Amino acid sequence: MGIQKTFYEAMREHGITRRSFLKFCSLTAAGLGLAPEFAGTIAHALETKPRTPVIWLHGLECTCCTESFIRSGHPLAADVVLSMISLDYDDTLMAAAGHQAEEILEQTIEKYDGNFILACEGNPPLNEDGMYCFQGGKPYVEKLRRMASHCKAIIAWGSCASWGCVQAAHPNPTRAVPIHKVITDKPIIKVPGCPPIAEVMTGVIAYMLTFDRFPELDRQGRPKMFYSQRNHDKCYRRAHFDAGQFVERFDDEGARKGYCLYKMGCKGPTTYNACSTIEWNGGLSWPVKSGHGCLGCSEDNFWDRGSFYSAVNDLNVPGGIESTADKIGGVLAGAAAIGVAAHAAASVISHSRNNTKGGSSHD
Amino acid sequence: MNSNVASGPRDPVGQQAVYVFEAPVRLWHWLHTFSFLILAVTGYLIAHPLPSPIGEPSDHFVMGNLRLIHFISAYVFAIGFAVRIYWAFVGNKYSREIFYLPIWKAKWWKELLFEVKFYLFLTKDKDSTLGHNPLAQTAMFFLNTLFTFFMIGTGFALYGQGLGDGSWADRMFGWIIPLLGGGQAVRNWHILGMWIMLMFAIIHMYMAARADIMGRKSSVSAMIGGWRLFRDE
Amino acid sequence: MTETLTANGFKLDTGGKRVVVDPICRIEGHLRIEVNLDSDNVIRNAVSTGTMWRGLEVILKGRDPRDAWAFVERICGVCTGVHALTSVRAVEDALGIKIPENANHIRNLMMLAQYTQDHLVHFYHLHALDWVDVVSALSADPKATSALQQSISSWSKSSPGYFRDVQARLKRFVESGQLGPFANAYWGSPAYKLPAEANLMAVTHYLEALDFQREIVKIHTVFGGRNPHPNWVVGGMPCSFSLNETGGINMEWLNLVSSIIDRSIEFIDKVYIPDLKAIASFYPEWTTYGGGLSSTNLLSYGDFPKVANDWSQENMHMPGGAIINGDLSKVHEVDVRDPEQVQEFVTHSWYKYPDESKGLHPWDGMTEPNFELGPNTKGSKTDIQEIDENAKYSFVKAPRWRGHAMEVGPLARYVVAYVRGDEEIKAQVDGLLSDLGLPLTALFSTLGRTAARGLECSWAAHKMRFVFDSMMANLKAGDTATSNMDLWEPKTWPKDVKGVGMVEAPRGSLGHWVHIKDTKIASYQAIVPTTWNASPRDAAGNIGAYEAALLGTPMANPEQPLEILRTVHSFDPCLACATHVIAPDGQELVSVKVR
Repeated sequence: MGIQKTFYEAMREHGITRRSFLKFCSLTAAGLGLAPEFAGTIAHALETKPRTPVIWLHGLECTCCTESFIRSGHPLAADVVLSMISLDYDDTLMAAAGHQAEEILEQTIEKYDGNFILACEGNPPLNEDGMYCFQGGKPYVEKLRRMASHCKAIIAWGSCASWGCVQAAHPNPTRAVPIHKVITDKPIIKVPGCPPIAEVMTGVIAYMLTFDRFPELDRQGRPKMFYSQRNHDKCYRRAHFDAGQFVERFDDEGARKGYCLYKMGCKGPTTYNACSTIEWNGGLSWPVKSGHGCLGCSEDNFWDRGSFYSAVNDLNVPGGIESTADKIGGVLAGAAAIGVAAHAAASVISHSRNNTKGGSSHD
Repeated sequence: MNSNVASGPRDPVGQQAVYVFEAPVRLWHWLHTFSFLILAVTGYLIAHPLPSPIGEPSDHFVMGNLRLIHFISAYVFAIGFAVRIYWAFVGNKYSREIFYLPIWKAKWWKELLFEVKFYLFLTKDKDSTLGHNPLAQTAMFFLNTLFTFFMIGTGFALYGQGLGDGSWADRMFGWIIPLLGGGQAVRNWHILGMWIMLMFAIIHMYMAARADIMGRKSSVSAMIGGWRLFRDE
Repeated sequence: MTETLTANGFKLDTGGKRVVVDPICRIEGHLRIEVNLDSDNVIRNAVSTGTMWRGLEVILKGRDPRDAWAFVERICGVCTGVHALTSVRAVEDALGIKIPENANHIRNLMMLAQYTQDHLVHFYHLHALDWVDVVSALSADPKATSALQQSISSWSKSSPGYFRDVQARLKRFVESGQLGPFANAYWGSPAYKLPAEANLMAVTHYLEALDFQREIVKIHTVFGGRNPHPNWVVGGMPCSFSLNETGGINMEWLNLVSSIIDRSIEFIDKVYIPDLKAIASFYPEWTTYGGGLSSTNLLSYGDFPKVANDWSQENMHMPGGAIINGDLSKVHEVDVRDPEQVQEFVTHSWYKYPDESKGLHPWDGMTEPNFELGPNTKGSKTDIQEIDENAKYSFVKAPRWRGHAMEVGPLARYVVAYVRGDEEIKAQVDGLLSDLGLPLTALFSTLGRTAARGLECSWAAHKMRFVFDSMMANLKAGDTATSNMDLWEPKTWPKDVKGVGMVEAPRGSLGHWVHIKDTKIASYQAIVPTTWNASPRDAAGNIGAYEAALLGTPMANPEQPLEILRTVHSFDPCLACATHVIAPDGQELVSVKVR
């Protein structure tokens, strides 16, 4: 193939003026939470770098990550695909099919060995030799491993690739695993959420292209710029939480006044995501703002944390998904009280019996 | 059987006393008790909030105050326990009893078996250990000591979520969150821990009262005055 | 002898050249198609294989029925929300919960928005490249393109300069050598028939539609908090109206929804529909290929209740029913509770039944995965070169209505509603056919399917306006309730109940069957549109809709599966939906778990 264009050249080719290009850079800087002077760094990076090839694989998933990605407003998904990266393989969007599609993978390895980004949506199932998801007649996990061994770095899109998500929920019939369980020798950045916010996805890509490295990650591999605070921490209903004002039922008085949804099972207090800051679909709203609690969809195995409508949830203990801490605890404490009472009664009986038998007890 | 009770003053009614619980231990015991009770009540109300107060949110701070009390009590609970650990090193031999189980001693196992039989009414003999009897020690170790560690760890891990990424609580205890499967799971285990400690507290209070009333060694008063009295046979 | 006649009357010939297309791209999920070509490169046998299984219904067992919508919503992120709606309907049906009028309006609005966005994305981003040659657009004359655009529509973005700019972007993109998603495709194939100007216009609209679809889904964001995967609730909707308070949906958000509806109507009617007609006029032969089951067996449950909680077909904005054996004079009523009507077979699917010669109604359904390949498979278990369709060959089950393989989707809905005499739909269909000078039978084809989807997209956009206005009238009358929480607490529920929820999803008829016992899900079953369309053969040998539709189509170049893509894409496959599969009783669960 021909010469690689830089991002800036590509943008110029798309009829974008230098002035709008610089504006784009400062908007990107602001979007990433960077100081204005970083706009220059971004501009420089985009002017000098060729478009990075991205291979976007789909395992067991529902394509909500791709759907979310194309909702990105800044940058527009079309601009990301046509100007920022070179999306060389994505079975949801690509024109080719069958062996013409699969050939692209080999061509990429040949041309860009060690220099392309692998974006993974969904995860591989391991049961039945991996054949619960096969493409080109072969297990998906093989394709994932092959591409991973040649890539530069991996983006784990969404909760499927990051944690396992819904198909990995109990009892995980296909033994679906997050990708870090099968790929251990490459850097992986997790962008969890079911799906992740569109602008978080494109923001991660923009950061990687701009600075040519991963953004700073937390101890679980998530970019701190989007996942270092809980939804609760920046929730606009937080004042009602602190005041103790809660929605008790959907559409009750509290719901209409925008009270806190904690009692309706909102998982915002334990969910690291950018919903309460960036919000969804161009910053329009997010689940709590629309009146439903946070499901905690960016958290590990949020499916097995019990009902979405209860603040105190089930423990993920073997043998059952039904037992909440309060139920178990209440039973234990209750049993202790009953046991104590019974034992006290037995003690009294035993004591008096010993006395009447004229045993050796003291007086 | 009475060989342990070799020393100590004898009172006129024939009771023998041993100085078991030193002042820091006794102080900690009651701090631990009361901070735990406050933590349990406020914790329960954080998990199951009270009915909503009417009016503007700026006029109320119900959850805020509950959480504040919870956090202050948690500091008392944790710092108290830290001092208690220190005292285990410098205090008398009884001060170390709740931190380990002498499972390498045959005698300890014998006494443990004896206590089990005793509480199942299978023997009429009375025990005469000076500190905790082996059964009490086992319960104390598993249900109080270990769970105190657990509650402090999970509690500060959750506290670190609020303090934020990079805060002292996050750096020291944040690793617990992924270990137990995420913040929601940690919350749930934290709540379960509360119930288990409450269960221990109920049994503990019963046992102590029972020993005072029916046994031959004082318990409740020992934790107030430090001297454990043994009634003569 | 390689020639056979199927039970539903299709002639198969397994001789000749075998062509395998795996993966089929530009769909949701993972699909494999194998066909046999005769010496004239005409498709004489077709095999549709769903190549993924996730086991979602197995996962649902034992959970709180109020949570089920969130799990099943993750069956599909493309037709997002449709499974969630079906699920809350099934649970409400089981528990006897009646929803408020506003909840019905909001649900209708969200589902219509889904139709509008999903059909639009399907046409431009998943289907158009089967008809539009991106590279040919480079040689278009922008002036002529502008003239073409202005001749077919009053869309404002139509100046020669606009098309020149787009062409310049495209040109430099192609010249960069980094073709991205357009690499290795079939550009220049003789199967592409559009003039360069039409190609440029379509490519331009590819980009415009990609931008505009983001707007449509904001209706979900207002009422459900986000898209993809908005929130729902058993008993109504989680959002509240706060017309005199601060907190819920207020006039500002309602205005946004209204504005999105107006812009959607404009975009669909001025861009999508004219493009559809323009493209269709260059591919007249495709009104004869790809008919398959569409001229004989069609199914639609009907949807969009005008009044809440009334499921009669008279109350539906889109009335349903079944047409069988090509008899367009009669629409059969469909009862999804009747164990004799809807049944699923696994004779050729990778699951196990005690007796695989019989189908099971979803309430009695079971799922035990059983991945085994037939003796004539070429390759090995983990490297399948050619599949053996005489044995089990797909993770998709084979649902049948009274034993018939059925086609579902926009075309099925349109034919059923047309036959039922729905005025709006009749007018739309007759208008399009007379514009293109085609007979009614032209609908039973690949292009007919694509056209029905386009008409439905326009129908949905206009219907949003009607539903929105009805909702506003209801609010004006003083009814602001959005949910009914009377039966929210599990202790108010009956001990052992069954329910069914139906939705006409963008891709066709969708049903969820739930059994709730002791306040937990005892079993959960879904039969989704793509399970109907992508179904493999059943016990009697009836072939499914994809397989039937591919037969008889000539391929210009067997190396380039454009024709296969056209017909398969005309169904808008969604394989994550089709192969989620099945909730059984406890015994089966164990065998699933221990694998």
